[in-house]
Amino acid sequence: MSGGGTQVATTKVMRVVDLDKSYGGLRAVDSVSFDVYRGEILALVGDNGAGKSTLVKALAGAQPPDSGRIEIEGRPVQLRTPRDADAAGIGCLHQGLGLVDALNVPENVFLGRELQTKILGFIPQLDHRRMRERTIELLERFGINLPRLNDAVVRLSGGQRQTVAISRLLLQDVRVVIMDEPMAALGVEEGRRVLDLVANMRARGISVIVISHNLEHVFQLADRIAVMKNGRLVGIVETASTTRDAVVRMITFGQLH
Amino acid sequence: MPSQTAIAAANNIGHADRRWIFEGLGLTAVIVVLAVIFTLINPRFATVANFTNILTQASFFIIIAVGMTFVITSAGIDLSVGSLLALVTVIGFGFIKGGMHPALAVALMFALGGFIGGLTGMLIAFVKIPPFIATLGMMVGLRGLALVHSAGNMLFGLPPSLTWLGQGSIAGMPVPVIIALLFALFGAWLFTHTKFGLHVRAIGGNREAARLAGVPVNFVEVMVYVLMGLVTTLGGLIMIARIDSTQATIATGMEIHVIAAVIIGGTSLFGGRGTIYGTVLGALLLSMMTNALVIAGVDFFWQLVVMGAIVLIAVAINNLRERRIPTLALLWRRQPTGGGVNNSNPGG
Ligand SMILES: Nc1ncnc2c1ncn2[C@@H]1O[C@H](COP(=O)(O)OP(=O)(O)OP(=O)(O)O)[C@@H](O)[C@H]1O
Ligand SMILES: [Mg+2]
Repeated sequence: MSGGGTQVATTKVMRVVDLDKSYGGLRAVDSVSFDVYRGEILALVGDNGAGKSTLVKALAGAQPPDSGRIEIEGRPVQLRTPRDADAAGIGCLHQGLGLVDALNVPENVFLGRELQTKILGFIPQLDHRRMRERTIELLERFGINLPRLNDAVVRLSGGQRQTVAISRLLLQDVRVVIMDEPMAALGVEEGRRVLDLVANMRARGISVIVISHNLEHVFQLADRIAVMKNGRLVGIVETASTTRDAVVRMITFGQLH
Repeated sequence: MPSQTAIAAANNIGHADRRWIFEGLGLTAVIVVLAVIFTLINPRFATVANFTNILTQASFFIIIAVGMTFVITSAGIDLSVGSLLALVTVIGFGFIKGGMHPALAVALMFALGGFIGGLTGMLIAFVKIPPFIATLGMMVGLRGLALVHSAGNMLFGLPPSLTWLGQGSIAGMPVPVIIALLFALFGAWLFTHTKFGLHVRAIGGNREAARLAGVPVNFVEVMVYVLMGLVTTLGGLIMIARIDSTQATIATGMEIHVIAAVIIGGTSLFGGRGTIYGTVLGALLLSMMTNALVIAGVDFFWQLVVMGAIVLIAVAINNLRERRIPTLALLWRRQPTGGGVNNSNPGG
């Protein structure tokens, strides 16, 4: 898996312009603007409370921003609900909020976009069989091996749960996948599996924004690194042309150089 | 790699979690064992007439408990079912006594039941009043309205077309029992095989995750209480048809019996999990217990004590079962994370 060296494609998939979000007097996201290119992995780093999750929630339609513009492939989009983000081709894995424990794997994967059939030609009913088949296809396509699809996901391991939560995002045609600390609370082996999944997505032309506190992962994976501090975007650097120390300085002091 | 086990699991048509099905089997065994014990104590228990009686007694509770299974699975509770039943039946009965066509009166009863359920649901989903408090308020208020409406009088004398619903039988099977079983089948289908059922289980399991997945959580929550109102009306209709009367104090304390049936049936008080099958068994078990106590000549006051104890034991068992799950989640979080500056915090 090649990390920092890959060239960055030049097609813009997403454009974020002057995004603001305040909680009371606190500017959690403060005039943030950036572009995302096709098939790149953009890491978003910053200290606790820097505003990363707040930014993600705005891009996912989970918590609309106060002001600012979001464009997908040149067209402005309004992201007021998670469904809007879905329709715009943005898939999002929220920090610690991936799955419903009590539901099984296919139910989780298809939650919010269920497949249905009609019985007697007019009564809608869930198509459990097709949802299960498509879940298996999906998991296979991304090389995920899950033996117990019918169990409530509470009984899967942390890594298995995370892969289910991620594969949920890939069910539809997504352009941009945003993942808020997908490797947190995972063991080394399970974290590696998630890293492989991210690389797999890039290989398919999906742009990935990944938030992580783990700079080792970030440097292995990302094409570019965006740094936030106190709600502001400090800057975006190419992984190939920076060092860990430089990024740590940006995180800590909020300055590019 | 195509995993053989995954495909095998895929073809396995059991949507509910397997462990919960086993618990359903356990409850069946409890019912059978109790039935044998009751019969040994008093052979009168095991007559066809008495079993028919138990089933008929259970039928209202089965119907209303099926609705309550949706409510509790959505992480809610409804204490107002008894009061709603009283209000809807005294009003409907009044319409019929006033000369309205029974079919129209019944339609109005359902409209009223669904409407009040919807109000309750909106108090919970939009005004954010906790379900326990919202429905406690409705319980008191609706009972008051029922008393105001009927001025404390007893109403009786329904047309035969309606009493048939409670007193008739088809091929030896009482109509209420047939309706209850058909309704339970419908409820089981709704619970596991429809989008609505899936959304109810999702909002009860993790409301925020469901919202982020695009589930219209507030709408689903309101609809759960609309369903509860409609179902309570159905149960009430059959109940008044059976006894051919109603009054403002009918079904007092019914909520505890219904909630007990649901919990005994294994539905989690924390939301997200439940089965209709378990609820039906729970309602049957409770009716059987009541019946056995009556046959054994146990004083009514002592019956109340026994019922209370059963409810508390059922909740205790439920909690014991649930506590395992948070413990497991804690274990996961304690797993070491991959090296580096990984000081993630779970909040935010
Ligand atoms: N719902 C909320 N209400 C009020 N303040 C909030 C809310 N959510 C976040 N904040 C505040 O906004 C700021 C940014 O929080 P955010 O969760 O976006 O940070 P983060 O960069 O994701 O941090 P972490 O790395 O710890 O996840 C913090 O100061 C936080 O306290
Ligand atoms: Mg965060």
